[in-house]
Parts: sequence; C-alpha cells; structure tokens
Amino acid sequence: MSLVSGPGRAQVAGGNLPNELQLAVEKHVKYIQSLDTRKDELEYWLTEHLRLNGVYWGLTALHLLGHPDALPRHETVEFVLSCQHDNGGFGPAPGHDPHMLYTVSAVQILVTVDALDELEKRGKTGREGVGRYIAQLQDRDDGSFAGDEWGETDTRFLFGALNALSLMRLLSYIDVTKAVAYVQACANFDGGYGVSPGAESHAGQIFVCVGALAIADRLDLVDKDRLGSWLSERQLNNGGLNGRPEKLEDVCYSWWVMSSLAMIGKLGWIDKDKLSKFILQCQDPELGGMADRPGDAVDVFHTVFGIAGLSLIGYPGLKPVDPIYCMPLEVVNRAVGR
Amino acid sequence: MTTRLLELNPEYYTIWNYRRLLLRSFFEGAIPSTSNNKNDSTEHGTVQQYITDDLAFLLPLLRKFPKCYWIWNYRLWLLAEAARLLPSPVVYQLWQKELGLVGKMLTLDSRNFHGWGYRRQVVSALEELSVAMGSASASMTEHEFVYTTKMIESNLSNFSAWHRRSKLIPRLLSERNASHAERREFLEKELELVQRALWADPDSKDQSLWFYHQYLISNFKPSCSPQADAIIPDLPDADKLAYLQAQIEDLLEMLDGAETCKWIYQRLLELSLMSKSLNDQWPVASSDLEIWINKLLELDPLRKGRWEDLRKQIFPW
Repeated sequence: MSLVSGPGRAQVAGGNLPNELQLAVEKHVKYIQSLDTRKDELEYWLTEHLRLNGVYWGLTALHLLGHPDALPRHETVEFVLSCQHDNGGFGPAPGHDPHMLYTVSAVQILVTVDALDELEKRGKTGREGVGRYIAQLQDRDDGSFAGDEWGETDTRFLFGALNALSLMRLLSYIDVTKAVAYVQACANFDGGYGVSPGAESHAGQIFVCVGALAIADRLDLVDKDRLGSWLSERQLNNGGLNGRPEKLEDVCYSWWVMSSLAMIGKLGWIDKDKLSKFILQCQDPELGGMADRPGDAVDVFHTVFGIAGLSLIGYPGLKPVDPIYCMPLEVVNRAVGR
Repeated sequence: MTTRLLELNPEYYTIWNYRRLLLRSFFEGAIPSTSNNKNDSTEHGTVQQYITDDLAFLLPLLRKFPKCYWIWNYRLWLLAEAARLLPSPVVYQLWQKELGLVGKMLTLDSRNFHGWGYRRQVVSALEELSVAMGSASASMTEHEFVYTTKMIESNLSNFSAWHRRSKLIPRLLSERNASHAERREFLEKELELVQRALWADPDSKDQSLWFYHQYLISNFKPSCSPQADAIIPDLPDADKLAYLQAQIEDLLEMLDGAETCKWIYQRLLELSLMSKSLNDQWPVASSDLEIWINKLLELDPLRKGRWEDLRKQIFPW
C-alpha cells in the first residue's frame, strides 16, 4: 500500500463542474487497489513508516464503498502479521520498531477482515500479548499513554489503546478511570481537548478524546453545547471544515469534526449539503482518490476520511461508519458485542 | 549514517530510535553507570558535547519540518538524557537556550502547536530545575503571562496565545494570592482588553477574540457548574447578574454599526440564557430574543441547525 500522493488531483474549485456532483465509487476502488503496485516510486519507500496505517485507511474506505473484498484478504493478513514483534506490538512495516499507532491499525485491520483467530494461530503473540503490549504503555500515575518505550505522550495514543483493547474485549487490562481523568485534564475552556494538559483544542485531538470517553461510557463529562458550538464554527463558507480557528479547510476534518459532533449528538449543527459538495469537489473523478482540498494531489489518508465523512452525513450508497472507531458499523458491532 | 537518512526522511522514526541507542552506548562509554559522581567534568564534557552537537544537528531539520512529531520528541529525549547525566547548572543552561529557540519558532509560526507544547515543557523543566537548585522564585507564570500579552499585541488573531493565556490565569492569580477585589479587577481588565479589540473590528473573520470573551464571561455561570478554574470563585449571584447586564448593554452598543456581525447576536443570546439561569428572569424582552435568533438564521445559515436548537431552548413551547 503506497502512501504516495497523486497521480490524481482534486477538481479545481470553480472549474467546469457538472451540476450533479457524484461520488466516483469505482474510480476510488481502483485507486486504492493500485496503491501497492507503485513500488518503483521513491515516495513509496519514503512512506514505509506509515504502511500499516495506509492499509487500514485503504481497507476501511473500500468497506464503506461497499467493496470489502477489493484487497486480497490473505495478503493483507500476511502483511499485518509480518509487522508484529515478539513483545506483541506492531510496526508499520517489517523492520520498523513497534509503536502504539501501528498496533492499533493492526488490530483494526484484523478485526475488519475477521482474522483475530489467525493472530492467535500464527502471530508472534495472540491477542492477549497485543493487549499486554498496549497496557504497559499506560502511565499508572496519571493515566496517560506513551506511543512507545521512548515516552512520547499524546491523547491519540490513549484513544488508540481504548480503541484496540475494546475491539479485542481486553479493556480490563488498563486503568480506564485514570485514562478518563487524563482526558479531563486535557479539557479546555472552549469545550474542546488538546494533545496533553494545557494544549490548545484541535479537532483531531477532540475526536480522540471524545472517542475515548465514548468507549469508557463517560460522555456525560463532555460540555456538549460548548464543544458542539466550537465544532460547528469549523465550517467555512466554502462548505469545508477546518481543524481550529483561522486555519484552512481540509477534507480530513470532515471526519475529525463530524465524528465528534456525531458522538455528542450535534450532527445537525453543520450544513451537511454544503459539506457534501465540498467533499465531492476534493475527489479526482477520473483517476480516483481524494485530496485535502480542491486542486491538490490525492492520497489514501484524505480518501478514507472524505468517504467516512460522507457516510456519516448519510450519502447514499455508502455503508454506515462507526463514529467512535472509524470502521464499518457492522464490524464494530460484531467485535464489541453490541 | 543515521544523520544522512534522517535528513532525507525525519519521519522514519525507527532510525531515531536507533540513533538513541547509539548515543546511549556513547554515553555509557563516557560515563559508566557505575560512576556515582555527577560532577566529574571530563566525563561530562564528552556527554555534553554529544548532546549539544545533536541539538545543533536538529536545528535545520526543525526549521525544515517544524511539524514533525519525531523531531520534537527526539529533542526532548536529548534534554532528558542531559538531565539524567549532567549537573543541574549545565542542564539549566541548555533549557534556557531552548526557551530562546522555541520563542523563535513561535515567531515564525505562532499557531504551531508543537512549538507551544514544547514551550510548556521548557518552562516546566526550568521551574523544576530552579527548585532543585534551591531558588526561592522558581515560577515562570508571570513571565509566560507577559509573553502571551506580547504575542497578542503583535497579532490579535492568535487563538494559540489566547488559549495559553487562559491556562495561565488560575495559577497566576493563585501565586499572586489575589484577593477577591484583585480578582475582580483582573477580570474587568481582561474584559476591557478583549472588548477594546472587538470594538475595533467586531465582524473580523477572526474567532479568537470571541472565544476568549466566552471564556471570560463563563465566570458568570451559576455556581453549580464546575468552578475549579474560575477567576472569581466566590462571586455572588447578584454580582454575576450585574456583570451580565453590563455585558449585554456593551454589546447592544457594539451592534450599532455592526448589525451584520452574527457573533454579537450569538453572545447576546448566551448572556440572556446565563442571566435567566441565575434568577429565572429574562434580562431582555422576548421580542428581542426573537429578533436575535432570526438574525442568526439570516446571517449564519450554515449553522441553521444550531440556531433552531437554540430557538427551541429559549421558546420551548
């Protein structure tokens, strides 16, 4: 799976657009399928440190587009297993050190293709070993999570831990109460959340913090009116969403902002029609894929979050996405036993 | 070798990890872990050299990739190693230089949250070291508060600086042992600061000022809400109502000449709701409330769903 950008480019805003913008489903499927065939490009290798994330992004997009089998399941599982280390953690590709980010992607992929049993049979450790790797990254004093042994702390890792452990039904491995307390420590006056205590509100961090609270069943702690207001102000006149005040719109915020609004029950506070049009303008309808904004080069990261955003606002023909996990709703329901 | 790879691709984090292991083995060679003496200067000279060389190596990378998590983290790790192995005065000097560096980075991009996060770490480290070295006045809160004032004065539309300011205030007032009267004066001054800026251009597309204003007026919420970080923790309801009334009057004046500024209507409605929740009376006529909501629907149709919900909250029947 290549994380190279292009070759497609999103349509330029204000160009000759057809009156009825449509989601170019088949083109996006072909685009994602083509990504692993680009090993001759330098950028393929320069993005190796994101490879497993890329597989999760591509796979999730395909599922939401209704093409769950477009990537070969066996090869996908083989690749995931090849990324695992003896300590249970996963790197982004063979030869890269284990890290929370890729461990979470690994679990999400295996759950999506229903291959946790293959992890038990052929992984370096089974799911309990993965759970232990994740759990030992928690600081038992303040509840935060590091990304790896070198100690970087970020609320993204906390969410990742709750996400992966709940999917494997191993939440009891960590101190959820302390994790919730740490999220609370990251709350700001505007109702949002940051990277760590004291950090500015940012839509990405809001998604992970609210998601963590949702998994811990503590959404009661969120100031939904205040946060909903701040999030609704992310929508700009062009319909797109930004991640914090005075920043540019970016299609990936269609996910971070919208999923957060969905979790607190305020999806109606955004103009869905205008957002939908903006997202569709971010796609290359000929070569497939989506870019951060009209005119830019596409990549698989922006593709999945644009599609997930469309699914959240009910774009016809897409599978429902789970706003907490950014995975197909039916997959999550099955995994966590809803 | 790792240098060349990292210059090409600083996101290849496994290489940073490998570099850490290499450095650790150099440090072990210079200061064996069996050595108890943190004050042996030859051993430290070598370690210090490795660390300052690597900090220097990072500088151009940081300028080229100012939003790369891995670079900022590696830099923090170097300083943590310094704290582990070198005497406090040396470590303090290193952190002082970092304060200078992060100041420059934030001048280049005042919204870089990596920079602001790094700044918090630097300040925290300097404060801890000051305490460890026996200094009586270790806190840098006043210094940091002045820094936010400087950042705001150079660019009002700096949400990051306003945010930082909001986080410093509770500690600032606590360290000043501020009395109730002093806290009131402080809040009034902050309100004046924001309002002066808003008066100049209420309809600027800049949200930062309106959000900071919202932070300040949240001090007038009913006391059943969490008041941990309130500027005036023991403000009586009657006083809150008086402040809210003054705010409403100010905003009504601001409306004159700025009738297309949706934020003013939004804020007027919020203030009215806060007032109602204190004494169960609307501070304005319901016809005014009706007009303001309609104005929001007219001026800000993107957020129609939110204004409709607000209407239902105010007129539940």
